[in-house]
Amino acid sequence: MNHAAAAQPPFAPPAEGIAARTLALVGHPNVGKSVLFHRLTGAYVNVSNYPGTTVEVARAVPRFDRAAALLDTPGVLALPSRSDDERATVRALLHEDMRLIIQVGDAKNLRRTLNLTALLAELGVPMVMALNMSDEAQARGVAVDTRALGEALGVPVVATVATGGDGIAPLTAALDQAAVPAPLLRYDASLEREIERIAALIATHAPHPQLAARGLAILLIGRDPEVDAWLATRPGAEPVRAAVAAATAATGRESVPARLARERSGAAEALARTVTAQGGARDRTLAMLLGRVAVHPLWGWPMLLGVLYAVYLFVGDFGASVLVGLLEEDFFGTVLNPAITDLVQRTIGIPWLADLIVGEYGLWTMGMTYALALILPIVTTFFLAFGVLEDSGYFSRLSVIANRLFAAIGLNGRAVLPMVLGLGCVTMATLTTRILHTPRERLITTYLMALAIPCSAQLGVVLGLLGGISFGATLIWVASIVLVLLFTGWLASKVIGGRRVPLVTELPPMRMPVLGNVLKKTGGRLKWYLIEVIPLFLVGTLMMFALDRSGALPWIIEAGEPLVTGWLGLPPAASAAFVMGFLRRDFGASGLFALQNELSMVQAVVGMVTITLFVPCIASLMMIVKEQGLRTAALMLAMIIPTAFLVGGVLNHGLRLFF
Amino acid sequence: MNTDTNSAHERIRLTGTPLGRSVRIVDFGDGIEPLQHEQLHAYGLSAASGVRVLQQQPMTVVLCEHVELALEHAVARHIWVEPA
Repeated sequence: MNHAAAAQPPFAPPAEGIAARTLALVGHPNVGKSVLFHRLTGAYVNVSNYPGTTVEVARAVPRFDRAAALLDTPGVLALPSRSDDERATVRALLHEDMRLIIQVGDAKNLRRTLNLTALLAELGVPMVMALNMSDEAQARGVAVDTRALGEALGVPVVATVATGGDGIAPLTAALDQAAVPAPLLRYDASLEREIERIAALIATHAPHPQLAARGLAILLIGRDPEVDAWLATRPGAEPVRAAVAAATAATGRESVPARLARERSGAAEALARTVTAQGGARDRTLAMLLGRVAVHPLWGWPMLLGVLYAVYLFVGDFGASVLVGLLEEDFFGTVLNPAITDLVQRTIGIPWLADLIVGEYGLWTMGMTYALALILPIVTTFFLAFGVLEDSGYFSRLSVIANRLFAAIGLNGRAVLPMVLGLGCVTMATLTTRILHTPRERLITTYLMALAIPCSAQLGVVLGLLGGISFGATLIWVASIVLVLLFTGWLASKVIGGRRVPLVTELPPMRMPVLGNVLKKTGGRLKWYLIEVIPLFLVGTLMMFALDRSGALPWIIEAGEPLVTGWLGLPPAASAAFVMGFLRRDFGASGLFALQNELSMVQAVVGMVTITLFVPCIASLMMIVKEQGLRTAALMLAMIIPTAFLVGGVLNHGLRLFF
Repeated sequence: MNTDTNSAHERIRLTGTPLGRSVRIVDFGDGIEPLQHEQLHAYGLSAASGVRVLQQQPMTVVLCEHVELALEHAVARHIWVEPA
């Protein structure tokens, strides 16, 4: 999630000719670009220990040059670009006034770093290399001769440990010595002929103001969609496009992009060997052991259950019971709200206005009390637990454990990342589906999140209500949601055409989370929560007040009775919770939470399952429209509402057979 | 590139490599899609690259130059290796 970003607004390609002088951090996922960005600019973007944290370009003014702009680009596994986040990086390279690239590399995997260098070097932009995570390389006995590497590349190479701030000053100083890197390789003769021919055509018919024609030619025959789209906008593009089509039509058992990638890989390997020395390293550390256990076919599952139970205890028990009890019942219920009610009633002579503030559907007594006393302690504990887990590196390992399960629904384990992020905020997780490689994967994952992934606030309310009843009630809720998720996913994978992509993923090292980063992230997320949620809660309360005053609410409750009371078996007042749920599911869940004394175990489970599957919040819906289009979003909504009530009703009638 | 009918004795599939064994990648079979092929190169898995097999279930996990990579069997079975 990126809503902690202070370096906004997110990237939108500016009109040509008006962009600021730009420098960009470019590198593989999870090599520390965002930490370095924070060190160089003071602006904070969300930082986590899994690939794909940054899916949009962030921009801020660097401390070392107040007239420039520094970009933090999403990680690129490789260029030419293939995924949405990689395309965002190529767009930045194409459309910004790119004066300098700082390649951020992983010191313990120089071969892969140089693989990307081999392509960046062809773009003709001055470069500096920050060889980051040097401490981790050292711990593994890897020594990189940065001086020799710098000489081979013709650019400054600086060893850094961005998390600790090491190497930042030398890196800043080295920017003055930035130079266009020496090419790492010459491709084979037939490829070189095509590259030179296309580069000459680009230079003549469609030159780029910053990027070298040769680099663009390599990206074009590597079938980079963003460079192709850029070329299509150039007036003299036709001869270039014809030449590219001829070059890429060449048949053979290995595609042209794969040949290019293979040759770059060979060159990177050769250079890495000459500048790297491998010494002794500790073979077993606690972090390594935990990393292995997390993906172990047998022990991985108990570890997952242990992690989930710990989160449940911290969020569901401590957050939703202890903290909410202290805040909602003891402080708001007995101290703050009576005092405010008394003050308002004494000072405001107009009864309906006083009622609007402190009545049953009052802006303070309902809207602010729900937001501050009920939801805030829950999301705070959730964001803390979430921050610890995401910085530990555990989430990436979940994708291995979950891969087989996700295969059943036509996805691979990579989809677990947006889904887990969805437990924090479905809105921003919808944006994170960009890390998935195909439109099919993005569509299925987005739909499943909109249907069945509760956000932190809603999850907290669910855990608070059901945890207070029994652990069994919570388990029934979990099992129901997981079954709906799997069945709907399976169905969607059958209906939506396309093939499943097998999983290949990096497992970042398990690390001890840094308390400062966890607190910073939690603070940023809470700030977002307060900004986004409080206005919506107040609007929702106002809507409920208006419905109540106009006499429409009793009518809605009566109209909803066959569905809510008859089919779902809930008390009539629960209809109001579903009306509230149209605005935000957690607002609706809070409405059910407020009815907890009137609900039996079955009613509580049925109510929470139904509201969990109910319409996604307005912000999520807007994000789905942005990512998938209005038609797809409308179609999703049309399927989600009946599914929620269908599942809720079936569960109600099923549970009543046993309870 | 070899086909998947490769039967040279010294070459085995990555999925058939015992745990803890260090091997060198020899070739990629045709069963790997071109896009995934590019992805493997990007991760540093190329012909002549050395890897150590850490795990085979539920996915193949290899250590490639100090970075752990997890590969689904549908991909790993098309990677031919020989003892390093």
